[in-house]
Amino acid sequence: MPQVFPKSMNPISRILLLAIPIFASGGGVALAAFFRSDYTTGRNETVEQPIAFSHLHHVSQLGIDCRYCHTSVENSAYAGIPPTKTCMNCHQQMWTGADILAPVRKSYLNDIPIEWNKVHNIPHYTYFNHSIHVAKGVGCVSCHERIDQMPLVYQSKTLLMEWCLDCHRNPEKNLRPKSEIFNLPWSPKEPQFVVKQKFDSTTNAESLKDRVVTPYTPEYEAKTLSDVVENGKKYTVKETVCSTIDSDGEPIAVTSQMELGRMLKDKYVVRNKATLTNCSICHR
Amino acid sequence: MALEFDTTNEATGAGPSTPAPELWHGIDQWMGSPEFQKMMKDEFPEDAPEWLDPVTRRQALKLMGASIALAGAIGCNPSLKPASGRKIIPYVNKPEQITPGVPLFFATAMTIGGYASGLLVKSHEGRPIKAEGNPSHPGSLGSTDLFAQASVLGLYDPDRSKEVRFNGTTTTWEKAKSALNTIISAQKLKKGAGFRVLSEASTSPTVAALMAELKLALPEMKWLQYEPIGRENANKGIKLAFGEYANAVYHFEKADVILSLEADFLGTGVGGVRYARDAMSRRKVRIGHDKKAGDGVTLNGLSRIYAVESMTTGTGGVADHRLPLKPTEIESFLRELAKELGVAGAPAAGTLPANAKAWIKPVAADLKKAGAKAAIIAGDSLSAVAHALVHAIHAKLGAIGTTIAFTETVQTGLNGPDADSIADGAAALKTLTEELKGGKVEALFVFGGNPAFNAPADFAFAEVLKASKAVKVHVGAYHDETAVLCDWHINEAHYLEAWGDARSYEGTVSIQQPLIAPLHGGKSVLEVLATVLNKAYQTTLGLVQETYSNAFAAKKLAGTFDSYWHKSVETGIVADSAAAIKKVELKLSDAVAKSPAPATKADEIELQFRADPTLFDGRFANNGWLQETPKPITLLTWDNAAIVSPATAEKLKCEIAFKWTAGEHGRSEVDMIELKVGTQILKVAVWILPGHADDVITLHVGYGREKNAGTVATGTGFNAYKLRNSTGLWLVPGIKPLESAKRTEEKYILACTQGQHAMEGRRPARHGTLEQARAEKKAIDNHTKHAFDFADNPPASAAEKGLMRSLLPGTPEERERLAITYKDDGYKNNQHRHEGEEHQEHIHDARLLPLTLVDDHKPNKLYRRWAMAIDLGACTGCNACITACVSENNVPVIGKTEVTRGRIMHWIRLDRYFAIKDEVGGTKRIDDKDRWEALKASTAEVTTHFQPVNCQQCEKAPCELVCPVGATVHSADGLNDMAYNRCVGTRYCANNCPYKVRRFNFIQYADYATGTTTSLVNNPEVTIRTRGVMEKCTYCVQRIRNAEIEAEREHDNPGRLKDERSKRPIIKDGEIKTACQSACPSQAIAFGDLNYDQYEVGGKSIGFSEVSRWKLEPTHYGLLAELNTMPRTTYLAAIKNPNPELKGA
Repeated sequence: MPQVFPKSMNPISRILLLAIPIFASGGGVALAAFFRSDYTTGRNETVEQPIAFSHLHHVSQLGIDCRYCHTSVENSAYAGIPPTKTCMNCHQQMWTGADILAPVRKSYLNDIPIEWNKVHNIPHYTYFNHSIHVAKGVGCVSCHERIDQMPLVYQSKTLLMEWCLDCHRNPEKNLRPKSEIFNLPWSPKEPQFVVKQKFDSTTNAESLKDRVVTPYTPEYEAKTLSDVVENGKKYTVKETVCSTIDSDGEPIAVTSQMELGRMLKDKYVVRNKATLTNCSICHR
Repeated sequence: MALEFDTTNEATGAGPSTPAPELWHGIDQWMGSPEFQKMMKDEFPEDAPEWLDPVTRRQALKLMGASIALAGAIGCNPSLKPASGRKIIPYVNKPEQITPGVPLFFATAMTIGGYASGLLVKSHEGRPIKAEGNPSHPGSLGSTDLFAQASVLGLYDPDRSKEVRFNGTTTTWEKAKSALNTIISAQKLKKGAGFRVLSEASTSPTVAALMAELKLALPEMKWLQYEPIGRENANKGIKLAFGEYANAVYHFEKADVILSLEADFLGTGVGGVRYARDAMSRRKVRIGHDKKAGDGVTLNGLSRIYAVESMTTGTGGVADHRLPLKPTEIESFLRELAKELGVAGAPAAGTLPANAKAWIKPVAADLKKAGAKAAIIAGDSLSAVAHALVHAIHAKLGAIGTTIAFTETVQTGLNGPDADSIADGAAALKTLTEELKGGKVEALFVFGGNPAFNAPADFAFAEVLKASKAVKVHVGAYHDETAVLCDWHINEAHYLEAWGDARSYEGTVSIQQPLIAPLHGGKSVLEVLATVLNKAYQTTLGLVQETYSNAFAAKKLAGTFDSYWHKSVETGIVADSAAAIKKVELKLSDAVAKSPAPATKADEIELQFRADPTLFDGRFANNGWLQETPKPITLLTWDNAAIVSPATAEKLKCEIAFKWTAGEHGRSEVDMIELKVGTQILKVAVWILPGHADDVITLHVGYGREKNAGTVATGTGFNAYKLRNSTGLWLVPGIKPLESAKRTEEKYILACTQGQHAMEGRRPARHGTLEQARAEKKAIDNHTKHAFDFADNPPASAAEKGLMRSLLPGTPEERERLAITYKDDGYKNNQHRHEGEEHQEHIHDARLLPLTLVDDHKPNKLYRRWAMAIDLGACTGCNACITACVSENNVPVIGKTEVTRGRIMHWIRLDRYFAIKDEVGGTKRIDDKDRWEALKASTAEVTTHFQPVNCQQCEKAPCELVCPVGATVHSADGLNDMAYNRCVGTRYCANNCPYKVRRFNFIQYADYATGTTTSLVNNPEVTIRTRGVMEKCTYCVQRIRNAEIEAEREHDNPGRLKDERSKRPIIKDGEIKTACQSACPSQAIAFGDLNYDQYEVGGKSIGFSEVSRWKLEPTHYGLLAELNTMPRTTYLAAIKNPNPELKGA
């Protein structure tokens, strides 16, 4: 019986044989990529809202604190979408006739809530809790990125489970001092203050009344400070360049995120990886 | 009667010489039938996975109707993107106290039969979703019965009446108002001579005040209170004994000896929740070395309970001695006992069987010995004479003032001029029926209740009501049998929708606070009364407040009314409002001595009626949660049945071997009998119950609604009210077997969960006697022994036993195994630090354990170790835990057809075991040839045992190993987590679970689609499971996680207790209560952290948690612990206190 395929087919068949696994794995990779793509996750997609509310304007330009509107972020699972009344607190007096605010006024007058479109949509079998994240030093920016720069809100992270787990396995990456939770642009590497502290050399307790906090300037130069003796007591003097002063008064030295994260993980008693990745932490 | 059990089936191992099981679920297990053997070997029945026929499916769905429609506010998501089309709808003006996501609790009260149970109802954004007991309410002390749990579903029942109707057509409240006023104005001219009000029993002070006002305007009107499960005998008995009406309040915590006569005082009934707590507080034996003051009682403090009853009840189950007698014999028994105790004027007794006679002397002696510390309680079904005799015995023993107190009456009107009519509702209803017939009634208001369905059959109340020319106004929650016969129907507000008040069993007043505006614009009885009185009021709040501002002024209390009112509403009880103690003196009426001896005829069967354990008098018939809760003892769902003993079943020529087909014993094909009382006939299915008194048929009322009952209620069970006459409200003697109780050719399918999840003979529910415990007490005290023999694992070598116990979480042996010492580096002997990682600490146990299958990295002492302990000595088998769990965890209702397929979804089940005891109270082993005869003969020797079984949260969980997708895995704190979204439904886990606690959603049980009001009852904290997903008890993980979040949030709050070593905030013992635990009336469940004592404050341990202390008891054992699953849920064996004088009796 003559050969069905000519000999010249050999290299082609070899290439084909090689191509099968490449295509198969390539297909897998493509699928995985598709699963994570913005198209699938809805990341970076601006959602239309009944009112074109701008966080950029209200937060960055006017300087309103997150908690003025999202009142329950520190004590509930939900940060809370403000009731119409909150809008009207200001807009009863300013921009009272603006067209853009017509739906707000209508809602307030007719006692009908404004129906916002959900942007950050977590599956119903996942129980996310804002309050515990805020209490343990996870800032708004970790999940919402620079929402203060967004004219219209979009989802800036994938919200895939792997994204949650990434932090639950290594919370150090995202911990920040509690004083800076709602300060989105804050960075641990940016010096803000120079804090001069005086410590009792024997007890190592700080003499708080002698603390001097000055704003950091680029001209600042580190000095060597010597111990002082006052009223027969020996004090050590220390000057630190700080990125912030924590809400409990502790100055936070300029450092890398990882180092800060490790320090805060201890300070805020953040639970360990094994606990934070329990299924029932999020799924009930 | 031929029995068709194949006794030589070798394949099943049920050979002729197999000894009978010690503990058994039902007759077939006792008999060792081959079908049963086969069933035992399968987790799921053969056909379970498949839908056999689509028609039944539709029927099933129809049946499930209202209650199954528990949809989440979650739609299916058509797009891959999670964020498609979901809305956020904030408030316009947020109410000040509401924080979205943080539930609020409000104190309120629910009434059954007029008496209040105090509740704290949980509200999520204004939506009541869960009832808990109110710890400050004397009738609750924080616990509830199953009715209170299920009442929340009643609020959202889509079958509730939603409109005001006139002659069946919808109209408005305004029109009804003017019609009501016309009626009253017309009646005013006649001083109300033709005006009648028929209500349910009422204790509400506000209703009483408004009714009194109405009576002033209409002096000749009459107000009747009728309850089908009435207390007429108890009321009349007290009057016979003391010459006046009073309210009996028991104090079972003071009782050394309790004799219960046909009274299920631990189950349903007035004060039942409190009585269960009190009585069972004397049954929790705590003798461990680490017990805390106030934990249970010592061996000497154990009380003794005798139960004489015909139907087996929970009370009979926990009793140390139970005597099944016919109802008439119980009367005779009491009379003999009274005579023996020397009660003057004790009437003549009828004949008693020999075993009952043998009881008289020892029981009398025991009661005499206990003296003031004895309590006798008679059921509502016993005659007035019997109740009088009980109190005469109390007086004789000097128990009045200790175990029983009499107070001023609590029910409205029981101290007034119409007391006799109020005391006997059925008699009053009879008078009303005659007046209606005679045309004397011109206007009738029916407030609640359903007399057209549940009035005694001989009154023919429905026909009379229909024929009557009077203007009839019905106020009720359903457009039911009575509503359709009335001219006007006003839809009544649910108790969670309207202000009101009611009194508890001992008189304490509770304010019934609404949590939600009426869903369908319902009106409360208070509003109707205020309307007819032309009272100016804004809301019902004003009406209730008026009562208390008057009381406040009258009592001349200090402070302002506002603060008094707010405190009353907040705590749920009005301070110092308990009924005053009444000094009573025994003046036994002559009628008692003269009452004829009860006639017991040997050849006749006695038919008795009882309130249904889950539907009560039928008022909860449309509640799917209660329909599907297995009835205590019988474990029937969705139906009632004629309950008989094995011997009586044989006498009625009923088939003994049920045809258990399809499903793991869910579906049982039983015979039907025709019962004839006078001219009334009822065909009813027969259920054979071991331990039930011979020659007695028990029928539960409340079933058999035909129409106008709602989707769930219609077509379930048999209407026992058809046979219930005013002459035989509780008892119909003289039923002739094969004549007035005749077997028919028909068969009926009952859905019974009795054989589901059976666990073979491994002594699952353990118990011992006081004598046995005393014998071993010394060894326990000397630390030479940690467990009583009767509680310990099945026979094994000493080394094995020790190993088993060291693998049982919480035992002293286990604590020793895990003992921690500190090394020089600050780490413990069994911990190390992983390089490069922070705080990855876990125990490395050098002493590797044999039989271990899973990774040995066990949780570190820094983790919380959640665990549960269940005290079988205190469990009364009331099933409140099941309903509480259903409510908390969105457990679906699946309908009768699905239950018959063995697919019941409850996360916690109450196993009920029977045993036939031998002379020393152990279990008798009988060879199978004699088993049927033995069963028939040993009705009096059958004991009943309860065991709640939920997920045991094994430390080495067999289910986790076999899950191919990692949907069930362990958490660091020892929970066996279920990730529903990962589950692909292989059911391997259920196959591998030795406890059979996993439940599978064979079809879409939860309703995502219909969007009825029932979806509002769902707990937003718990995922609603979809088809093809496995589920099981989670230890209410949502409560644990929320408590953790609350604690962890306060890591820098100096007010929060913290462990000094780990800096972890401490969740205080008792801060988390699982749903079953908090509902349990007898507090038989403890839940908490086994590592609690490891936390240090001020340099020392903060002591053992409650659950740890329970687990250190010598009665502690693990279910199937010999399998080395290391279950976190474990049990305390019951200790019974039999009377040595009654050996063998």
